[in-house]
Amino acid sequence: MQVPSAQATAAASLLALEEVSCRFGGLLALDRVSLQVQPGEIFGLIGPNGAGKTTLFNLISGVGRPTAGSIRWSDGAINGLPPDRINRLGIGRTFQNLRLFQRLSCLENVLIGLHHSARAPLLPALLGQRSFRQSQGELRQRALELLELVDLADTARQPAGSLPYGSQRRLEIARALATAPRLLLLDEPAAGMNPIEKEELSALIRRLRSRFDLTVLVIEHHVPLMMSLCDRLAVLNFGRRIALGTPESVRHDPAVIEAYLGVSA
Amino acid sequence: MSDLSLLVQMGFGALLALSVYLPLRCGQLSLATPGFYVIGGYVAALLSTRWPALSGAGTGYPLTSLALELVVAALVAAAVALVLGRPVLQLRGIYLAIATIALVEILRVLNLNLAWSGGAVGIFGIPQPFAGPGGYALATWVLLALVCWLCARLEAMRLGRAMAAIRDDELAARCMGIPSADVKLTAFVISAVIAALTGVLAAHFLNTWNARQGGFDASITTLAFVVFGGSRIWLGPVLGGLVITALPELLRPVGDLRLILFGLVILLGPILFPQGLITPERLARLQQTLRRP
Repeated sequence: MQVPSAQATAAASLLALEEVSCRFGGLLALDRVSLQVQPGEIFGLIGPNGAGKTTLFNLISGVGRPTAGSIRWSDGAINGLPPDRINRLGIGRTFQNLRLFQRLSCLENVLIGLHHSARAPLLPALLGQRSFRQSQGELRQRALELLELVDLADTARQPAGSLPYGSQRRLEIARALATAPRLLLLDEPAAGMNPIEKEELSALIRRLRSRFDLTVLVIEHHVPLMMSLCDRLAVLNFGRRIALGTPESVRHDPAVIEAYLGVSA
Repeated sequence: MSDLSLLVQMGFGALLALSVYLPLRCGQLSLATPGFYVIGGYVAALLSTRWPALSGAGTGYPLTSLALELVVAALVAAAVALVLGRPVLQLRGIYLAIATIALVEILRVLNLNLAWSGGAVGIFGIPQPFAGPGGYALATWVLLALVCWLCARLEAMRLGRAMAAIRDDELAARCMGIPSADVKLTAFVISAVIAALTGVLAAHFLNTWNARQGGFDASITTLAFVVFGGSRIWLGPVLGGLVITALPELLRPVGDLRLILFGLVILLGPILFPQGLITPERLARLQQTLRRP
């Protein structure tokens, strides 16, 4: 494979990690990981448990700080920014362990994602004037449309915590989409789903990408799903990036085979 | 105590309960309410006793002066809350509670020892804008209605939704772009203003003001209002404030038993209704039953 100049790739990429490390006490969760995500691609992160995938997501979304290295987003460094600022720059995320607002309805969950579209003048809002009610109606409509996209329009009024697991995962996607991201980080979106749901999810992610001009960074354990879904994949093991490339090249990479299957005697 | 006076005190209770409720609505257990209540009371006491121009020429204390006191108290409380809120609200859970209790105690000790606050004796002879408890009852309940309305509107506004989100999961809320520090500070400032406004009315109503009006006891009592009534919807704290303020008086006919009964209510309330008497679910069920023919 031709090696492009590092400068050129970094300039064209939407998100660029350069030598990012993250240490928790004695544990080096990420060890000088570099990768670039191009606009519009579906980029997969795979690796055994504890490889540092979620840590990487946390660093990108501002939940954690890298101990070394830099994270560049379109044209500026974003490491160390708080999560709400990073979200406003256009990075939305879901959570591996589902962090929905459990007691609130599905609709309210999405409405909270629409927070920054919901700005309304204070006085009409306090007085409940028609202009305020109208803008709130439109907001609800947008939230419902997002719910419809993930096939949850029927459960709009139910508390998020009462939904089945697979639906909660899709609700997390709708809530993240409501924040109008350019990059969507999906942390194990298919976990707990059955094979049919997984297929549907894969189609959904592709649909969302074209509809919202999204770039998607996805963590998932289900390797066949990732092979068919992703344009490119990076493989992490013990905090290091051991492979990067198209699904085809990653599948035959000896280092990947070794990480997943062990060394043959 | 006359019935109208009890009504005034119940209104104070409900207002202070709402002041505790607002930070709690975004998950912040702040017990600073009595501190801001005391600040409001001192603003009223100092302005009305030390500034003769406010007393006017007529017999009673002019209502315009009372309105001025309310505005000044709100501004002072908001300023104090803005300055203290940033650092204090970085604390979470029980640590925030401890820090805010300390705040109230510091204020109490300062007021006890400073010359301008009248020291341990306090400030006496605060002029009366109203002829009797009736006027106070009206003013208190108008203020209560205004604050209730504000809290009810909050449910429909994005600020209210953001507060609920932070209460459920602050990290997730931040990842959805909600500036949680700003939202929490806003709630803290509104809470402080409500407490200070209540303090202004209370200082006039009680005719005297001193450092003992706010202390650790008051922090716990106001918290009990919310624990008893419920902290998930504004009706809860209002009910808690009204009932718990009224209960010792209403139980007077049973004589010495009343304190025991009062204690039982405080004890059994949270055991039988861990989320408080009023929850959104219970309200919805009540609405359904009422609608059914």
